[in-house]
This record gives sequence, structure tokens and C-alpha cells, in this order.
Amino acid sequence: MRNSLLNINAVAVKELRSYFASPTAWVMMGLFAFLFGYFFVTYLQFFVMQSTQAQFGGAPPAMNINMQMVRPLLGNASVIILFLLPMVTMRTYSEEKRSGTIELLLTSPLTDFEIIMGKFLGAVALYAALLAVTMAYMAFLFVYGDPEWLPLVSGYLGLLLLGSCFISLGLFISSTTKNQMVAGAATFVLALLLWIVDWMAEGSGPTTASVLRYLSITGHFDDFGKGVIDTKHVVYYVSFISFGLFLTLKSVDSERWRG
Amino acid sequence: MIEVQHLTKRYGPLTAVDDVSFRVEKGEILGFLGPNGAGKTTTMRVLTGYMPATEGRAVVAGFDLFTHPIEAKRRIGYLPETPPLYPDMTVREYLAFVARIKTPGLSAADRVMRVAHVMKRARTDDVADRHCGKLSKGYRQRVGLAQALIHDPEVLILDEPTAGLDPKQIIETRDLIRSLAGDHTIVLSTHILPEVAQTCQRVVIINKGRVVAVDTPDNLTHQLEGAATLYVLVEGGEAAEALGSVPGIQHVSTMERHGTAVAYEIEAEPHRDVRRDVARAIVDRGWGLLELRPLRLSLEEIFLQLTTEESEGASANAGPPPQPVLPAEPGAAGVPGA
Repeated sequence: MRNSLLNINAVAVKELRSYFASPTAWVMMGLFAFLFGYFFVTYLQFFVMQSTQAQFGGAPPAMNINMQMVRPLLGNASVIILFLLPMVTMRTYSEEKRSGTIELLLTSPLTDFEIIMGKFLGAVALYAALLAVTMAYMAFLFVYGDPEWLPLVSGYLGLLLLGSCFISLGLFISSTTKNQMVAGAATFVLALLLWIVDWMAEGSGPTTASVLRYLSITGHFDDFGKGVIDTKHVVYYVSFISFGLFLTLKSVDSERWRG
Repeated sequence: MIEVQHLTKRYGPLTAVDDVSFRVEKGEILGFLGPNGAGKTTTMRVLTGYMPATEGRAVVAGFDLFTHPIEAKRRIGYLPETPPLYPDMTVREYLAFVARIKTPGLSAADRVMRVAHVMKRARTDDVADRHCGKLSKGYRQRVGLAQALIHDPEVLILDEPTAGLDPKQIIETRDLIRSLAGDHTIVLSTHILPEVAQTCQRVVIINKGRVVAVDTPDNLTHQLEGAATLYVLVEGGEAAEALGSVPGIQHVSTMERHGTAVAYEIEAEPHRDVRRDVARAIVDRGWGLLELRPLRLSLEEIFLQLTTEESEGASANAGPPPQPVLPAEPGAAGVPGA
């Protein structure tokens, strides 16, 4: 058990290191910070404008920085990660297969599960670092305003879970191909599909509609932004992640047999 | 130390390794010889637990690779055909990472010591802080070797350890490998024959996925000799007739002229030493005997013979007598086989 954790840790640290040794991590951080900053400023301006109008206009609408600023902002962050995370996960397995380093991992006394968990946690750690950058923006809100911090925490938790789903999906797809571009593109398309799958719900029957709505990966995110941590949604995300990792395990194992 | 029994590996309809069996004793260096595509890498990949066999089993250091892969892998150091390096890590970082995954629970101090030790052993000290991606081919290979040694494994499996090295590096690498035998059991694959003659105690020749011969390099050369063939260089006269009259000689052919000297190839009855009589026959006539030596088959010729034979599974003993055409010098040039 202890060895297993050490192994997972060794692989995770190696993954994280290689993200930061190559431009990947830095470029991601820069892009993410830039886009998030853009949204932040836009929403802030809008919020300030509305508040000013509220002061001069008649009946002031209920102004709530959490609902009107933080929530949509986190919603936008989730769109950004839809684009960014496939770029993180596309190399996880593909690159090791292409360069032959996978041979080192597979002939070391590591189980497939340890390798996969290490890679997964390494990517999640990078993603957490991306999210951490955005917290600097949020800090401004606390300096100049008075937002509630609980919805903020639940929002970030939601983002972390949502992103982890993309990572587990991306890991699986990367484990099926040597080609990074294919892995990245396929991950993006599948993630996007999961994103918009509930659009079909409108025209379909009640059962299909509810199934589609349940599958939609964004539908489950909404409550987190409101500050509600619903077990239902947590279960959805955790099952999604586990299923992705399980598929990766199967894919790596079958690859072994096929050579 | 290593036992392979009836190993078969198929990729779909293609049979890469077909019913291969062999044993390697503790401390031995076994050479795995075969043309490209003969199934060397596949066999090694099964031996290292990279992929499972379709049929048969492989046991390393007492652990079956299929049922106890982790235990077995702890005892194996493996250098794949392309050294598995992470380009963005420095050599030191890379070796520390490998140490981590090969022996979890090693203290940081021990790890630093192991890394320093293998870097010294594989002569990679001077590139310790260079990025793996920036290394020359020779250094990449050495770092790959260092990586295989990091956990002081009982068994070392080296897939073409000298491929792509310059002659000096090849000699150094062979010396290193030889110095590792005894403490480690080594299996190395190559398609370069002199390498086997120089480093290995035993050879497995594999072709099209099947084992065609298992023996020591010397025995292989001897067994395939069949009829004893001599090379004689005579100065002073036409010696063909005189040589033909020596008892025990079956056939004499004139090969070439070197100025006043003539070279002959003599076939004697098997297992009969005719050298004394041949020498006397020439000297008695007052001619000069410039050279007299047995024509031995080089490993190259044995190899070609074994791997081009049509009859499948022909053992080393059953081969027809060789027809050497040139004076062979075992271990002369690094001619890649097939």
C-alpha cells in the first residue's frame, strides 16, 4: 500500500515536472490567466455599471456579487478549460508511446493502475495550479467588495471536478493512440459533445430528455456555482472520472496484449 | 536464473516468436543473435514483462512474469532498443526518477548514492546536468544502460546495447558488459556477430521466430566445420600434385597466386590432423611453406548458413559441411548479418 502510494506519487511528480519543464504548463497558465482576466474585467465593468445605475435609478435591484459576477465568471472558466485541458492530456500516453518511454514504465515494477493514477493526478495538479492563478483575481473582490466565500469554494470545487472529468476522458483517449493531435482533437470533440448533449433534450420524449439532461456535463456544474454542493452532482462527476480511468486501464491492458 | 519455455507470441495472424525455449544460468552472458525481424525484441519484451506471451512461460529469478510480474520486474534491468529517455529531464533527474519507480521506499540519500554510482559505472558523469534530449547517441545509450543498472538488478536484458555507437564506445560498452557478468545475469541481443564472440558465453541463434542453435560461440564454430579445411601458401613450385598425394587428403584446389607464391585449399578427412604431413611434403621438396592454417568458419558464415537454411529447425550438428570460399578470420569485421 505504501509502495503503491510512493509509485503513484513518483509518476505524478514526474508528469507535473515535465509539464513545467516544457512550455505546456506556462503557455496554458498564460492563456488561462489572460482569458480569465478578460472575462473578469468584462463582468466587473458590467457589475459596477449596474450598481451605479441602481444607485441613481428608482428601485434598486438586488445586487449580489456572487450571483451576478462570480457565478457567470466560473461558468466561463469552465468553457476555457474545455479548450485547454485536451491540450494537457493529449500527450500523457501518446508522447510516451511515440518516444518509447512507455517501455520504461511498463517494465518497471509498477502496476497499470499506479501509472494511470500518477498520470491522472499529475494532470489534475497542473489543472489545480491553473485554477490557483485565477484566485488572484478573486482576491481583488475580497479587497474591494464583500463576496460570500462559500459559493466561491463550491464553485472552484465544481470546476475541479468538471476538469477532472475532462482529464480522465483525455487520458483514456491518449492511451489509445500514438498521435498527439488525434488524441487532443478527439478529446475536445467528445468533451464538447458531453457539453451540448442536452440541447437535444428539447425535441425528444420525456425519458430521453431526462437521460440527456443527466448526461450533460454542464448541467451538473450549475449548482456548484450557486454555492450548492449536491451529492447527486458529486456522484455524477466521481463516477465519470472513475469510468474514464477504468477505460484507460482496459485500454492499456489490451495494448499490452496486442503489442 | 532465466527460464523460457515454449514461448510463442503472435500478433494477429503473424507469429513473431514460435516455441522458443532456453535457459540462462546465474552470472552468464547469453547472446541473442538473429537478423532484424527474427523475434529478438519480441522475446526480450516478453522477458521484461512489457507484453505477455501468447503461449508458454518465462520465469526470471524464480518469478513467473505472468503471475508475479511486479516481483520479477524488480529484479530486471532493461535497456530497450531505443533508450527510454525523457528529453526534458536532466540525466541526474532522470536516473533519480527511475530509481524511484524501480525501488520505492529508497531513502533520498540512498537514491543519490545509487545515481552517482551508476553514472560513474556507465561513464555519464560529465553529462549529469545535461538534458536527455540534448545528448549524443553514444551518451543516450550509456544513460540507458545506467538506467538499467540503477536498482542493481539480478538480471540485465539489453536490446542491441552497442547499436549506433562508434568503435571506441563499442569496445567500452562491451568491457562494461563483461565486467557486469558474474554479479548479474545478462541477456543481450545483437545482429553483430563479433560482438557475440567477444562478449557472450553462450549464443542463441534465432531466425524467423525459431531457435536454430544454442551453444558456445567456439562450439558453434567447431561443430559446423565438418571436414577439416586447410589453407596453405607455398612458394617455389606447383604443389597441387604433391599435396594431393599426402595421405588423408581428399581434395586440393588452387585458390590464388600471390606473386611467386600460390595458395591452396585442402580438404582433409574429418577428424584427421594432416598438418604435419602437409608441411613435410612441401619442405622435403625444397619449397617454401609460407602459411599453413585451418580454415575456420567465422560466426558470420555459421550465422548465414543457419539462417538461410530451408529445412526448419535444423540443429547445429545436422548442417551440411560448409564450403568456405575465403580465408575466414573469426571476429574480423563488423559485418551485419542478413
